[in-house]
Amino acid sequence: DALLGCHRSYRSRPTHGIGKFKYLLPKELPKKRKEKVQMKEIDAGTEYQYGDVNIQMTSHDLCLVEHFAQYVHRLCNRLSIRVNESYAMPTKTNEVLFMEERGSKMQLDAVLTTHQRVVQIRGLSSTFAPILLEIIQSSQPEGVHLLMKQHTEDDFKSRLKSRPELEELLAEMS
Amino acid sequence: LMFCYFSFCSSWLPQRVLLQGSHWQSSLLDLRTSLPVRAQPKKKKKVDVKKEQAQKERMKKKLKKLEKAPPELIPIEDFITPLKYSESNRVRSLPALSPEESERRVILLKKWCLFKQKQDEAEKQAIKALVESQQEALKELRLESEELYEAAIRRDEGLFPFQRDGPSYTPPLAGYDPPEGKCIDITKVYTQ
Repeated sequence: DALLGCHRSYRSRPTHGIGKFKYLLPKELPKKRKEKVQMKEIDAGTEYQYGDVNIQMTSHDLCLVEHFAQYVHRLCNRLSIRVNESYAMPTKTNEVLFMEERGSKMQLDAVLTTHQRVVQIRGLSSTFAPILLEIIQSSQPEGVHLLMKQHTEDDFKSRLKSRPELEELLAEMS
Repeated sequence: LMFCYFSFCSSWLPQRVLLQGSHWQSSLLDLRTSLPVRAQPKKKKKVDVKKEQAQKERMKKKLKKLEKAPPELIPIEDFITPLKYSESNRVRSLPALSPEESERRVILLKKWCLFKQKQDEAEKQAIKALVESQQEALKELRLESEELYEAAIRRDEGLFPFQRDGPSYTPPLAGYDPPEGKCIDITKVYTQ
């Protein structure tokens, strides 16, 4: 018991570090646990503060919307507004067809992709909200559609994959 | 074997009699229609209930298994580089820059940095000025009346949702007749 309790290492002696072997083994990285996609609690906010607010930026131009989202995120950081999440919504692809002048066939014009980025903030004070809105609007680039709204469960669910089998079974059971 | 035959005999007496006597043809038909009504429903009930129960249990097990799996996020196509860009090994060889060109570029970069810094400073000043003027206005309002101050401090429910389209490079053309057409959504639907 006395031998186990002794913590003196005798660093000058050649027997220093005797018994250590973990430094010889290859480094074991901690097991990466798959993070469960769970909905975080939505803050409703008080009378003088807005709860979870989503700033959604939509555009056809990917780089532009990406850079604008980064700018908004940095702005919020600078103004010490808490940013919960900054994520991307799935891209939507649209095929644009137009009718030829002389003819009845629809001709393929272009394939457009719509990209959307979301910056979720919390604890925006009621007096500062219009100022933030003004600043974001003044630096809004061309072709980027801005939308600011309260965060809801439906917004979170739209990010998840649909489960038709589960829904079918639930419909059958009830 | 003999015992079961007798028990069979006792319960199915009318049928045994009919089978033996072939000259009871008309009554045979009548009794045949009446017999299934008596015998078969019993069988149906037992087998059906068991089958239904087994089916329900299977469905419950399936539901449990599906519910156990956590929901997954839809993968975002923007962040997945298409394979064709990573497969090829072609490397771009850039031409060597002349010293004048590199000088010009460095000076341009510095000018751009200065311009961006001025823009950022202007933005910070604008925010500061807005906040200051707002605070001053609220102070004055408080001195005027406490009620109005309280009402002003409260959050505006009509603010969200707020929408705004980005500015356009050119104004819309007057008298433009767009061709007829339609948009088809061809987004890939992911299911779990």
